[in-house]
Amino acid sequence: MISITHFLIVSACIFCCGLYAVLAKRNAIMILIGIELMINAAILNFVAFGRYDKSNYGGQIFALFAIVLAAAAVAVGLAIILAVYRHYKTINPDNITDLRD
Amino acid sequence: MGELLHISPILASILVMLLPLFAFIIQASLGEKATSGNISLIAILISFILSATIVLPGIWNKPPQYNTYDWFTIGTKTFTIGILLNNLTVLMQLVVCLIAVPVHIYSRAYMKGDPGIARYWTFLSLFCFAMLGLTISKNLLMLYIFWELVGFASYLLIGFWYTRDAATAANKKAFIINRVGDIGFLIGIACLYSLFGTLDIIEILGEGGLFSQGIVDQQSSLMTLAGLGFFLGAMAKSAQFPLHIWLPDAMEGPTSVSSLIHAATMVAAGVFLLSTLFPLFNDTVLLFIAIIGTITALMAAYFALEQHDIKKVLAYSTISQLGYMMVAIGIGAWDAAMFHLTTHAFFKCLLFLGAGAVIHEMNTIKKHDCQTIDPQDLRNMGGLRKYMPKTFILMSIASFALAGFPLTSGFLSKDAIIISSFEWAIHQGGLYHIIPIVLVVVSILTAFYIGRLIFKTFFGELRINTTANSLLHEAPKTMLWPMFFLGIGCLFFCFSPSPISYHLAPILDGFSVTYSFSEVHSLHIIIPVTLTLTALISWWIAYRWYVLDQHPVHSYNLDIEQNSNRKVAVFDFIPYHLANSLIIFSRWNYHFDKYIIDGSVNAIVKFTLRTSQIASWIDTYIVDAIVIGISNLSKRIANFSAWFDKYIIDGLVNTIAQTTYYFGHLLRWVQNGRLQNYLGFALTMVLIGIIYLILR
Amino acid sequence: MGVLSFLIFSPLVAAVLIAVLPSSLRQSYKYIALVFTLIQLIVSGWLYGQFDNTASGINTADGFQYVEQVPWIHLSLGSLGQLEIDYFLGIDGISMPLLVLSAFVMLMAIGASWNIEKNLKGYFALIMLLNMAVMGIFCALDFFLFYIFYEVMLLPLYFLIGIWGGANREYAAIKFFIYTLFGSVFMLLVIVGLYFSVINPNTGAHTFNMLYMMDPSHYVDGSFFAWFNNYNEVLGIPARLLGFIVLFLAFAIKVPIVPLHTWLPDAHVEAPTPISIILAGILLKIGGYGIVRVCVSIFPDAVTYSNWWLGLIGVVSILYGAFNALAQKDLKRMIAYSSISHMGFVVLGIASLTVEGISGALFQMISHGFLSASLFFLVGVLYDRVHDRNIYNFRGLASLMPKFTVFISLAFFASLGLPGFSAFIGEAFVIIGAFNAESVGSGLPRWMAIAGSVGILLSAAYFLWTLQRMFFGQTRLKGGEEWALVLEKDINWRERIVIIPALALALILGVMPFLFFDKLNSSVVHLVSIVSQYL
Repeated sequence: MISITHFLIVSACIFCCGLYAVLAKRNAIMILIGIELMINAAILNFVAFGRYDKSNYGGQIFALFAIVLAAAAVAVGLAIILAVYRHYKTINPDNITDLRD
Repeated sequence: MGELLHISPILASILVMLLPLFAFIIQASLGEKATSGNISLIAILISFILSATIVLPGIWNKPPQYNTYDWFTIGTKTFTIGILLNNLTVLMQLVVCLIAVPVHIYSRAYMKGDPGIARYWTFLSLFCFAMLGLTISKNLLMLYIFWELVGFASYLLIGFWYTRDAATAANKKAFIINRVGDIGFLIGIACLYSLFGTLDIIEILGEGGLFSQGIVDQQSSLMTLAGLGFFLGAMAKSAQFPLHIWLPDAMEGPTSVSSLIHAATMVAAGVFLLSTLFPLFNDTVLLFIAIIGTITALMAAYFALEQHDIKKVLAYSTISQLGYMMVAIGIGAWDAAMFHLTTHAFFKCLLFLGAGAVIHEMNTIKKHDCQTIDPQDLRNMGGLRKYMPKTFILMSIASFALAGFPLTSGFLSKDAIIISSFEWAIHQGGLYHIIPIVLVVVSILTAFYIGRLIFKTFFGELRINTTANSLLHEAPKTMLWPMFFLGIGCLFFCFSPSPISYHLAPILDGFSVTYSFSEVHSLHIIIPVTLTLTALISWWIAYRWYVLDQHPVHSYNLDIEQNSNRKVAVFDFIPYHLANSLIIFSRWNYHFDKYIIDGSVNAIVKFTLRTSQIASWIDTYIVDAIVIGISNLSKRIANFSAWFDKYIIDGLVNTIAQTTYYFGHLLRWVQNGRLQNYLGFALTMVLIGIIYLILR
Repeated sequence: MGVLSFLIFSPLVAAVLIAVLPSSLRQSYKYIALVFTLIQLIVSGWLYGQFDNTASGINTADGFQYVEQVPWIHLSLGSLGQLEIDYFLGIDGISMPLLVLSAFVMLMAIGASWNIEKNLKGYFALIMLLNMAVMGIFCALDFFLFYIFYEVMLLPLYFLIGIWGGANREYAAIKFFIYTLFGSVFMLLVIVGLYFSVINPNTGAHTFNMLYMMDPSHYVDGSFFAWFNNYNEVLGIPARLLGFIVLFLAFAIKVPIVPLHTWLPDAHVEAPTPISIILAGILLKIGGYGIVRVCVSIFPDAVTYSNWWLGLIGVVSILYGAFNALAQKDLKRMIAYSSISHMGFVVLGIASLTVEGISGALFQMISHGFLSASLFFLVGVLYDRVHDRNIYNFRGLASLMPKFTVFISLAFFASLGLPGFSAFIGEAFVIIGAFNAESVGSGLPRWMAIAGSVGILLSAAYFLWTLQRMFFGQTRLKGGEEWALVLEKDINWRERIVIIPALALALILGVMPFLFFDKLNSSVVHLVSIVSQYL
């Protein structure tokens, strides 16, 4: 029997993969993919918890919303990456330290 | 005259004090222009006349007068200033005037041509103001103020030639050592204030005053502390062991200054203070005073024996005589102390002025021959009697007085002290006898060193080769007249109608002190005779050594045969046996002299000289070295505390600042502008939070 | 507007005036500053003349003179009650002399600023701002107002040291700022604590009024600083004692006491001459004033409990400062350390809790104000000419500049306590008061008075030694002929106009101390009577 715990473990694994990509990758696109993974982990959780929701399909609806939002975020993110590339001629985040004091 | 001018003694004494102050202000505002010194001279002259004609006759042997003026109020206590005129204060004031006038006149010639002479007169007037004010102060706070002002004036005058390093070192030393005494004085004042709640001398010590009401236990430790505090003040000012070391150095000042300040007036202020406050002292303090006085008298007389600097001999002599006065106070005979203070002021001042004249002449030789001699060194002098006979006579009179020969003033006052001290010792018994015996020894030593000074200076031949003989001459009249005046003051009739008995002296009558001990009549004959005889012997030895050059230290022998042959020729017409007996007597005398007296005397004297050298060495390398050691130590402490301040205390402050800065720096690294790092940190913090929540 | 407000805010007008005038008129700034400080001095002199010597002040509003009290910030805080801050000014015998002193020292500082070249507008505007703050501190009777002036004072000083100072100025400025802020931050905590412990009996609201804080009956029972039955403790220290200690430390940093003094040598040495004059002449007095006005008056019970330690701190400061002065090679640093030593007498005098001691301490503050200002000014005269202050680089200056030597000798002797000058009266009465303390029963042992008097001896040592090293002997300068030529000009007229009144005042006060004691007496007697209830 597959319980909610299994879903949560899988989702945590996906989330950690995403987190790792966000923190460690030296390419902005890979970071964006990492963010996508983390969102997907969250979506998986929505769907899994949706089973215990009293109102029907609440979780699925939220998941759909999140997917749409993620798509929009990816579009904006890619645009930013493009702009950054034009400005710095690089998309390695290590080389972009304008936030420093 | 007081009635004539309708001036009360109080007003007159205020004028006496203020006139030199006005002279000081005028001189100071005129600056370099006032070189003649007329203003100062006129001021002190009028002071002298007022003091002698109005103040003294109006007060002497009459009830004391005083006036009090409110000065300021602290809280509810009012501090006053006031004029106190009684026998003691008017006498002291007159003595100061009496000495200051001749010194002023003398200075006109002595300081002539000095580039800083305007300054000299300014400082001298300041000193006279402070000293005259000191004498008549009614309030201890006021007395303290003048007490320190005389020290300040003395500082200025010792360092008068401020380009000389020795002078500036000496005046600093003098001031700081006097400061030690001032602290004692201040503590004494604080003690009295907390005991009596007032600092008015009359309110404390006057008839029916707080002291006589017996509200204070005289034996209490606070009273002892007060007494020792005041004595510490007097010790520094009156150059008592071990605070005497500033006085020999103070001789760097002009000689006229030494004669006024460091011989006659300021150094006597300590004796004056103790006499004023005499009833306050309990037996412990008095004994301490007597012991310190004895040590000082003996030690300084020893040091004087082998000094070569004419002014240093006189300086040590002053210290020694001040020791006498302290002993007199310690045994309760403060009238004798004041008597000796008065007579000493005259003859010591005269000795200094004479020494100044001698130094003046030696300087003439120095300038003429361009020699590098020390004009103050006794070893260079000799035979000056021929060139300056009047100075010689005057100085001899003064030295007779110092040595205590009959017919002089010194004879009377010294006898007064020594006889009283014997009587005191008999009354106390036991070990107390040491003090009068030491005083007699000091008296012998005194006669010796002053004889040596006179003989070395005026007898024999000049000990340096010079072509300036023709330039040597008697001191100018402006210098001689003051000395002549002081010379008269060295004779007995100025102080007592009888040349041998001090009991008739009006000064002693004026104080009418009741002694704690009874009179011993036999002493009044034995002591003067002993003292005179020993003084004569001392002079005789000094004469033989320093004039006839039979100094035992030099191996020189008189050929007795030659001498006696010459004597035979002289006595040719006298019957042979008489001559023969004379020769035999002379020979016997000589042998007796040579082997018995000379031998023993020489042994004593050699021993004395040796101990003198040792003592002098001790003074330089131990007592003075302790002072220097203390000053070095305080410099060390100062350097250490500066180091401590810089590296420990400030270091601590800086360390705190550095630590804060370091932590700031550490945290700053977090802000590196990399988004991923920011996220990482955020995640770390979240994780820490989660772990905390789990473990809680 | 009352006369005190005029005194406080006229410099502000001057500062605004200087700020709005165009830079083309920059030569007029110093005249504006001069005129305003002169008016201030005249007004404070008039106040001095009109002052009623019998009014005692301290804790009674009736005893204060020229009182101005208007509501300033009155806010309703709902359940917390009413916030009540008054604009409350007034002077008594303790602040009156200090007001005159401040006006005088400010005038001296303006006189000493005549040759400042750098950024005149900022300089004079800041000095005027500082002037306002200082006057405000001495007049304020509302603790909040007092604190505001106290903090405002720091700002101009920071910039004056940090911009117009010497080589190491930034370090000195920051150190000074942080040190003082450190004290005042904790002071704020105690102020708030007191605010919540005291109520105004008329309105029932909590109040910052200092006079209410001095009266036991206005304290709320069971509040943190409650006067009676107070069992509050922090780290084992009773609350009222803690409040006293914190306030004392805040002011003691200003005095300064050893070991919280290290800002002073740096700040004095790096500050330009006029600022050194203000620092030594006025700023240090704020410390002493604060201790008397705030610590002793609001916490008399804690003072009687801890005055042994206060006396010890005073004695240590006297001796430690004197020894350090003896070791210094920089003339200005030596005088800075001598200030520490002389201000130690103030602490010792206050600790004695006797009328003589406290009067002596207050007198010493006035006297030190004149004398240390003169000393720093004279050092500035020398420094202006050759830009060197090392004692060992000078010798035999007396032959070269005789008039300057006369002035500095007078200042030295006055500072080392020569009778006839004011320092003597101050120090002598501190010693007498401290000595007397044992008889009064205030628990200050006699050895402290004796140890303090050793400080008088040491002060003679370092001043005379300096005199001997720098001024006497044959002339020998590090800068050789070049220096000799500059120094030969001696002290000029402007400098004489500044220095002579200061030394003359020191002399006048030394000869006629009643000029200030008469103003002090009733206040000091009243203060001692308050304190002695707790002995």
